Amino acid sequence: MATLEMSAGGVAKATSPSALQRKISQTLLRALTGVAALFSFAIIFIMLFFLLVYAYPAIRFNGWGFFTSPIWNIGNQYGSGVATRNGFSGAPGAEFGALVFIFGSVLSALLTMLVSVPLALMVGLALVYRIPRQLRPIANALVELMAGIPSVVYGLWGLVVLVPWISNALAPWVTSHLGFIPFLGGPTGSGTGLIASVFILSLMVIPIMVATTRDVILAQSNAIFEASMALGSTSWQAMTRAVLPSVRSGIVASIMLAFGRAIGETMAVLMVCGSAINAFPSNIFSPVNTIAAVIVSQLESALTDATGMAQRSLAELACTLFIITLLINVIARAMMRGADRREGRGHA
Amino acid sequence: MIVTPQESAISTATKIETKNLEIFYGKFHAIKNANLAVGENSVMALIGPSGCGKSTFLRALNRMHDLTPGARVEGQVLLDGTNIYASGIDPVTVRHRIGMVFQRPNPFPKTIFENVVYGPKIHGLHNRKKLLEICERSLRGAALWDEVKDRLDRSALDLSGGQQQRLCIARCLAVDPEVILMDEPASALDPIATSKIEDLIDELKKLYTVVIVTHSMQQAARISDFTAFFLMGELIETAPTKSIFTTPRDKRTEDYITGRYG
Repeated sequence: MATLEMSAGGVAKATSPSALQRKISQTLLRALTGVAALFSFAIIFIMLFFLLVYAYPAIRFNGWGFFTSPIWNIGNQYGSGVATRNGFSGAPGAEFGALVFIFGSVLSALLTMLVSVPLALMVGLALVYRIPRQLRPIANALVELMAGIPSVVYGLWGLVVLVPWISNALAPWVTSHLGFIPFLGGPTGSGTGLIASVFILSLMVIPIMVATTRDVILAQSNAIFEASMALGSTSWQAMTRAVLPSVRSGIVASIMLAFGRAIGETMAVLMVCGSAINAFPSNIFSPVNTIAAVIVSQLESALTDATGMAQRSLAELACTLFIITLLINVIARAMMRGADRREGRGHA
Repeated sequence: MIVTPQESAISTATKIETKNLEIFYGKFHAIKNANLAVGENSVMALIGPSGCGKSTFLRALNRMHDLTPGARVEGQVLLDGTNIYASGIDPVTVRHRIGMVFQRPNPFPKTIFENVVYGPKIHGLHNRKKLLEICERSLRGAALWDEVKDRLDRSALDLSGGQQQRLCIARCLAVDPEVILMDEPASALDPIATSKIEDLIDELKKLYTVVIVTHSMQQAARISDFTAFFLMGELIETAPTKSIFTTPRDKRTEDYITGRYG
């Protein structure tokens, strides 16, 4: 090395350059990765911090009513004077209650999970064990393609295809045949609403869960499947009783990821949810609204609020969504750690 | 196959037998016309260099190739005289009667108890008292009971590799098979764990018929009654273990046991 440098550069070096250089480059690398790691944490807290600061007047103005009131009213924008509570002012008559939206977000995300988790697990298993080998690349490509379609496309498809179908075919059939079951009967409206949101959200999250289910099963060796088969199980039993439990933590992670996506999805839901305000759904066809969707749909009118309280209340909504998502992640991680401990696996 | 007087003297009723067995992976001809008979309550060792097809042969005996895309089996495998590849035979039932222990211990990520009773449970037994009985009997049969009896509700993955392998044997015993196939069951284990497995096999043959793949000729010599030598997909020679290592009939067998192939 030294001779090579001498002949090439004509500069004689008595000591090897590597010792110092290694030290510098190692320190540099450690610093850079440290900053990068810190950055990912910092960005979450910085975002939450500034959102909270911006929303603070609304938090004081709305009090606990924000979480308990179903009424969202930006107040009289043309009247005189302001309403002041806890030292912060909004338009007269203004009341910002998020209960309808929180309820709508959680309900539509939960129902979406109810529909999509079993389906996604089935499709994921089928991709590994059932679909003929020659068709697998095509099936896999389709799944990845579905996961990559922009949400506005799903929304538009929902609006022009799904919603009319619900309104003209599904809803009349369900109410007349199954209407005696709670939440399946009653007024059906225009087709936009809870069930349309759930269908669209399911279409959007299923590919994510299918892909992860498939990948965690493939990442595990075939040993578990074969062990079960060798004990005289059917392949269905091997899949559901041996393979799926052995990849549980991966599945739980993907379900949580999907739940996060479903509860935060904005555009597609906004287009098909029916934008309910001040009313809870009475059945699966009722209009609903979600935190994410209402932030968009209320933004324009909120910007006209001279007191600014409507905008700040939207920021409070955003904080709420942020914290719900964060909580779901924390809970999911805790659940996974618990499962890993019970099964004696180390956790990454 | 020439039957020596010695062989016929100690052979018992045939438990499992292959007739003109051919196995293909796509176009690759992995096993060529193999004929092998294994007597009841005996241990048959399959030996041969890596890639000779001994594991492939073994997996044909409980229809595991059904699960391998592109694998094809021709010929017959007779269990008590019935061809397990005949149409109308359910492979699930076959695997119920012919258990298998794999090269690497592959316990389920469940408790020790749940591992052992997995088979009985999927076959519809849910009576907890009966399951506990089966669990104890199987673990005793696999010489593991004394080591784990106080921690049946602990994860199987906490066990050592050797214990995990005996757990897999117990899990196999729990479904009460007639034949046990073992695919190099000790190759991933240390010498002490290996000798425990070998002692166990000696016990198992009192109740079961055992077919074991091994890459160790010493192991075959220690544990088996009969040995079959495979080379490049062909079954070269089958003989009582004592005679195959002292007086092999085939030149290729002799070359292998004297160390002339890997």
